[in-house]
Amino acid sequence: MLDTVEKEDTVISEEEAAQYDRQIRLWGLDAQKRLRGSHVLLVGLRGLGAEVAKNLILAGVKGLTLLDHEEVTEESCRAQFLIPVGSEGQNRAQASLERAQYLNPMVDVKADTEPVESKPDEFFLQFDAVCLTGCPRDLMIRIDQICSQKNVKVFCGDVFGYHGYMFSNLGPEHHYVEEKLKAVKPSEGTSDGPDTKKPKVDPSETTMVKKTASFCSLKEALEIDWTSEKAKASLKRTPADYFLLQVLLKFRTDKGRDPQPSSFADDSTILRQIRDDVLEAQGLASDLIPDEFVSYCFSEMAPVCAVVGGVLGQEIVKALSQRDAPHRNFFFFDGLKGSGVVDYFATK
Amino acid sequence: MLVGSLRKELADSVSSCRVLVVGAGGIGCELLKNLVLTGFKNIEVIDLDTIDVSNLNRQFLFQKKHVGKSKAQVAKESVLQFCPEANITAYHDSIMNPDYNVEFFKNFMLVMNALDNRAARNHVNRMCLAANIPLIESGTAGYLGQVTVIKKGLTECYECQPKPTQKTFPGCTIRNTPSEPIHCIVWAKYLYNQLFGEEDADQEVSPDTADPEASCESIICSVCRWLFYLCSQSMGSNDFDKRLRAILTAARAGASNQDGDIKRVSTKDWARSTGYDPVKIFNKLFKDDIMYLLTMDKLWKKRKAPQPLDWAVVQEMAYIQEEVSGQGLRDQQVLGVKGYAQLFCNSVETLRSQLAEKGEGAQLVWDKDDPPAMDFVTAAANLRMHVFSMNMKSRFDVKSMAGNIIPAIATTNAVIAGLIVLEALKILSGDLEQCRTVFLNKQPNPRKKLLVPCALDPPNTNCYVCASKPEVTVKLNVHKTLVQSLQDKILKEKFGMVAPDVQIEDGKGTILISSEEGETDANNSKCLSEFGIRNGSRLQVDDFLQDYTLLVNLLHCEDLEKDVEFEVVGDAPDKAPPAPNVPEEDKNIANGNQDSALPSTSSKVPIEKDDVLIVDSDEEPSSSTMEAAVEMGGVKRKLEDVETGGAGSKRKRLFELPINDDDIIALD
Repeated sequence: MLDTVEKEDTVISEEEAAQYDRQIRLWGLDAQKRLRGSHVLLVGLRGLGAEVAKNLILAGVKGLTLLDHEEVTEESCRAQFLIPVGSEGQNRAQASLERAQYLNPMVDVKADTEPVESKPDEFFLQFDAVCLTGCPRDLMIRIDQICSQKNVKVFCGDVFGYHGYMFSNLGPEHHYVEEKLKAVKPSEGTSDGPDTKKPKVDPSETTMVKKTASFCSLKEALEIDWTSEKAKASLKRTPADYFLLQVLLKFRTDKGRDPQPSSFADDSTILRQIRDDVLEAQGLASDLIPDEFVSYCFSEMAPVCAVVGGVLGQEIVKALSQRDAPHRNFFFFDGLKGSGVVDYFATK
Repeated sequence: MLVGSLRKELADSVSSCRVLVVGAGGIGCELLKNLVLTGFKNIEVIDLDTIDVSNLNRQFLFQKKHVGKSKAQVAKESVLQFCPEANITAYHDSIMNPDYNVEFFKNFMLVMNALDNRAARNHVNRMCLAANIPLIESGTAGYLGQVTVIKKGLTECYECQPKPTQKTFPGCTIRNTPSEPIHCIVWAKYLYNQLFGEEDADQEVSPDTADPEASCESIICSVCRWLFYLCSQSMGSNDFDKRLRAILTAARAGASNQDGDIKRVSTKDWARSTGYDPVKIFNKLFKDDIMYLLTMDKLWKKRKAPQPLDWAVVQEMAYIQEEVSGQGLRDQQVLGVKGYAQLFCNSVETLRSQLAEKGEGAQLVWDKDDPPAMDFVTAAANLRMHVFSMNMKSRFDVKSMAGNIIPAIATTNAVIAGLIVLEALKILSGDLEQCRTVFLNKQPNPRKKLLVPCALDPPNTNCYVCASKPEVTVKLNVHKTLVQSLQDKILKEKFGMVAPDVQIEDGKGTILISSEEGETDANNSKCLSEFGIRNGSRLQVDDFLQDYTLLVNLLHCEDLEKDVEFEVVGDAPDKAPPAPNVPEEDKNIANGNQDSALPSTSSKVPIEKDDVLIVDSDEEPSSSTMEAAVEMGGVKRKLEDVETGGAGSKRKRLFELPINDDDIIALD
């Protein structure tokens, strides 16, 4: 739970002020203090996970728990930058820990090697935000339900080849502030200049406006019925990536892994089949996702991890600091086109 | 056949090609990481800078123990930790060093910029044009960022669209009639140079009697008016005498000095004569000079007149009790007048010692990270703000403006660096027509896009850099412009040359400027007209390093605006219309040198150093991005606003060009 009173009272040390100077100048001291009081759980330390870890650690959260039960393989050595060479056989979270900690000694970085499925509900509630990468669909839905009951912010994200997405559920009532310019009227007494006859906008005269945003659950976001008239009408404006995500999550559920280059031919066939099934079940045309898609969703592309990890990382920072409008509730990135789209999916 | 996520042919290209990364800072660190993880093996990285603690919030390849070391070098070592088979060459050097000639650039399949200043960007742009190598250009500031691809003959080059030049303030605003904190900060920086650094004729701090706004009445009238003013104040006769004497001295000096400067001795010499006595300096700047300004009464008819500060009087004041804050940063406190007077005194004394330590003829160079230098500017600027009835600013805010600080975070750089590599892959695949300019917004635009790809533009046929025979026309006064100014302010600063060679097209091929050191030094202090240059003369200017030839047509002009030394015809980026709802202060601002000073920070980030001009109106999402395009993509272009068929036309301009039919969406 975000305890705002407690978080704002913390004093920033000289060391922190110097190190965080350039970001305090962007998002303000209050935001930095809230970050400093936040604990985050990050599940999955593959390419995307490593990016998010880096971004959160650099931002200066209080604590980050890296959770991953998988082992480092020869491939995963080259897949992310926190795991040093020669770590094969070690646990991924454990292997990432040292370099993650070096990023910012002021953050308390921990490694947890247990499978996330085995964690009791209460485990998640000790965090202010939970970020799930590489998790199967049902697990994400379950954790999302546990967390949103107790106002723990939930984030999900994955990268599949050139494609990536992030999802967020900040609860039914997420409060935040936005900084707006204030127009200063001419007044008595000192103003910001001798030209007191003209009303001016002083760039440093700003005001914080309070706002609220509401979010739906992951379950609701994923289980839209596209056969309804209303849904069909909005289809033209709906990014196809949403459906691609459904296909890839189904693959992950069915096969227990993501498409891998070593079984490119077989996996491609399965992917196309799943595509057909998913689209047909929703009464959608199969050309919504053209056949070529299979060439571009294998493995995690490093630059795509960087883009999605950057957006996802910043969304977590925004939510924890309660500053600036959050993206609602999906972000889709298509690395082939270079387009990144934010859209809201919910069953109304 | 996939190797990881890439097709085999592409994966092979990636692992075999050589690439150059210019800059190892915010974008550079992220970029190096992305490159090696994508499979790039042969990377050269160059950066002239060393690591600072303020870099550590985003330049993740560096740790605290590396502060002071070479960025390029440490970046290389860090990367090798997680990718030891990468072949990385690091240069702790400036890319503008002539060692990095066209031949050097030709070694690479592509070049990626990760820079933070225009001069270097211009230079690399020209080198890549000369070498005919693709260049990926990028920039970030705050939450905003942008990536684009430059390929000779195919796309616009970096200099095809005029970029807004940095704003300078008129001398009289700085010296006589400041109306905004930024004017006072610029003045304080000038003052630092006048007292402790390199004195510059363009950085005068004393009152300017040649101010066109000031009255032209006789000195007698001024004095009479001043006497009347004195009489209307209640003060002792001693003060009256002293002030009268002071004002008459000043008036007399002013009357005899053509340029309107009231001093006959340089500020530095005067200060030296007082032994850098802080109290004397304080009283001269904040009392005597202000009193002099008051005699120029026309200036104050429509403005609130400044109020002089006397050191002794200030000492009588109480210190302002700031609410003791554990709340804000120490630097975010705003001291009172007495506090800043004390700070002024202390910093003058410290700087005086620094100067003395350096010995005879020494000069200090202002640096925002040098505490006494920053203290001095904070104090002097605030005292002046107080004199001119402005709300004073904290050291934190003054540092932003004086030090031209651009707020920066890791995530923006991470996104942009990811986009750079994606463009690089398209180039290596031979898919140049798939390359795009991509903008990163803070909020999604009306078409829900947070990342907006736009088609690249073809080259500007009139570009003064990449056109086949580039030519420009410059207006200046041939009797007043010195050869030195031509070289430094016009050819180097304005036209981005590093080592120009100039020949006059007078049938004799007279050499005006040679890039060889010492050869044409004798010409530097002469004016152009001494070489027979007049209206219509042409100069052939070459920069051999950049493989760049520019023909400069000169038009003689005697009525340029005050403080304006030259004007480039047809290219008027300063006239670019301001974005809606944006106050003047949010534009790029400069104060003469490479430095710029910026007003406030947070999301309304106006840049300079990072060359991404951004204005965030805060009214609606995404307006800011498009401004971000200005620096990278040139002056605000025509709207290609496909979607606003009328509704909401008041909105932000969009650079976004639809690139395929899917992108055109009808609004509700």
